[in-house]
Amino acid sequence: MEFLGEVIGDALSAFSDFGPELLEVIALTLAVSGISTVLGVLVGIPLGTILALERFPGSALLRTLVNVGMGIPPVLVGLFVLLLFWNAGPFGSLGLVFTPAAMVIAQVALAVPVAAGVTKGAVGGLPAEVIEEIDTLSLPASMRYRLAIGEARSGVGAAVVAAFGRVISEVGAVLIVGGNILGETRVLTTLIVQESRQARFGIAIAAGVVLLTISLAVNLSLGRLHRPMGVGM
Amino acid sequence: MSLDITIPGDGSRLQITGLELQPGKTTVVFGPNGAGKTTLLRYLVRELGSSGTVAYIQQRPHMFRGSAGFNLGLGLDSEPAARARQLADRLGVGELLESPAPSLSGGEKHRLVLARTLARPADWYLLDEPMAPIDFAERREVLSLLTFELEGRSAVVVSHDINVVAGLADHVVIVDKGKIVEQGNVSAVIGSPSFVRSAEILGKANLIDGHARPSDGLCVLKSGDVTITGMGNADGPARALFGAEAVTLRLARARHDISSRNTWIGRVESISHRAQLVEVIVDIGVKVVAAVTPGALEDLAIDVGADIGVAVKASAVTIVMT
Repeated sequence: MEFLGEVIGDALSAFSDFGPELLEVIALTLAVSGISTVLGVLVGIPLGTILALERFPGSALLRTLVNVGMGIPPVLVGLFVLLLFWNAGPFGSLGLVFTPAAMVIAQVALAVPVAAGVTKGAVGGLPAEVIEEIDTLSLPASMRYRLAIGEARSGVGAAVVAAFGRVISEVGAVLIVGGNILGETRVLTTLIVQESRQARFGIAIAAGVVLLTISLAVNLSLGRLHRPMGVGM
Repeated sequence: MSLDITIPGDGSRLQITGLELQPGKTTVVFGPNGAGKTTLLRYLVRELGSSGTVAYIQQRPHMFRGSAGFNLGLGLDSEPAARARQLADRLGVGELLESPAPSLSGGEKHRLVLARTLARPADWYLLDEPMAPIDFAERREVLSLLTFELEGRSAVVVSHDINVVAGLADHVVIVDKGKIVEQGNVSAVIGSPSFVRSAEILGKANLIDGHARPSDGLCVLKSGDVTITGMGNADGPARALFGAEAVTLRLARARHDISSRNTWIGRVESISHRAQLVEVIVDIGVKVVAAVTPGALEDLAIDVGADIGVAVKASAVTIVMT
């Protein structure tokens, strides 16, 4: 018990002792995961909607890929992105390895299947009458998707939350493609890994508290989308 | 065209063989609740929609997020959209277009979707119980609008309402327990025993047998001392059909003031209260069922045994040979 008390004390003092350093890590975490989520849902939500409403050659394969992608280990995605952007790799000339840009690319690859999968479930789960109504209105495709997303908005909101949760909590991909370089590519999760490895639990706990707070804040603000229809209009 | 349809399933099992659908005509699929009418119509939405365009109105139409006006214009080009607004005005929902769609009542939503559906250019119009959500007092007007709008179009209307059959149908298909009991031209079907049986199960129908002859483009049927003018060209033994909702009741002394072709004086035989309306049986020489609103009955202040004026428009009466 004495040990745990010490750790909590260290965590409290870490906020003051490493304040500026921690702030930098928090800012980078929010930037990388925020941009990844935005890009990921911009692709994933339309993709999930199309997969729920349309049948076309290859759509079954795409659905399978999305389902697999939802559960793929982040380290594998990190490894794959690393190979693509490695100096000798196909996109090596871009020089993105160990930069925040590479971290965003890896996290977008993680966010897209989650956003698409949850959206697909939400749109596909709309009552048959709603889908039938959408299908018999002779609408252009973009309008059909817009209506479907609007009707499934609480589920689509969950897709955004899930995508953000996937990227902010993962450590494998950002560690591999970012390299956990202090002041450049260190984010909260890689900071926790780094500090626990060196038995500096105080900072690790402090970073964990921040991570939890961010997750909670995002869930609460996006949770507004989960309100039932007709409320707050 | 003729269709064979088999849909397996528990509650919605269908075994339809030789369903006749006639382009340019209105086919009414008639039968009790649970007969499989909606399942059949939803099948037709997919089937007819795969080779052409369908305008479909569901039993409980869905409103999308946005204003009523947004929902009214969904999928319509500018010309049909203007037509939809006209129809919305005529259906009494024209002034609601700014309101958020979720705030509308069920009947208002239905009329809005009805306006949109009728304004849409389509190869087939598929309507599921289009009269059911309409308030009783407005049914006659909405039915005559529907009759006018569907004239010459290819339509399939599902209904358990005898008034819809009498008012809309060119072709009637009676279904029960997922099977076709009878189908054919409206005049052929409503003369048949199976139609009478269905009509009796569903109630609220007036079927009066007599002797008919054509007159001035209309048809006049005599049954004892009672004369009924209606639509048709029957000459000989015939049957007149009109729904209970097509019948209006007036004070006995007011009978000369009304425009209906058929006006009689009768004696009130019974008054029974139903869910939304009151069924009054009047003996005018034959028994006539009238369905009226409780308010209308109150205004008349009648009781069993009283004399009362009974009126039916000739356009609401279908007369066919038997």
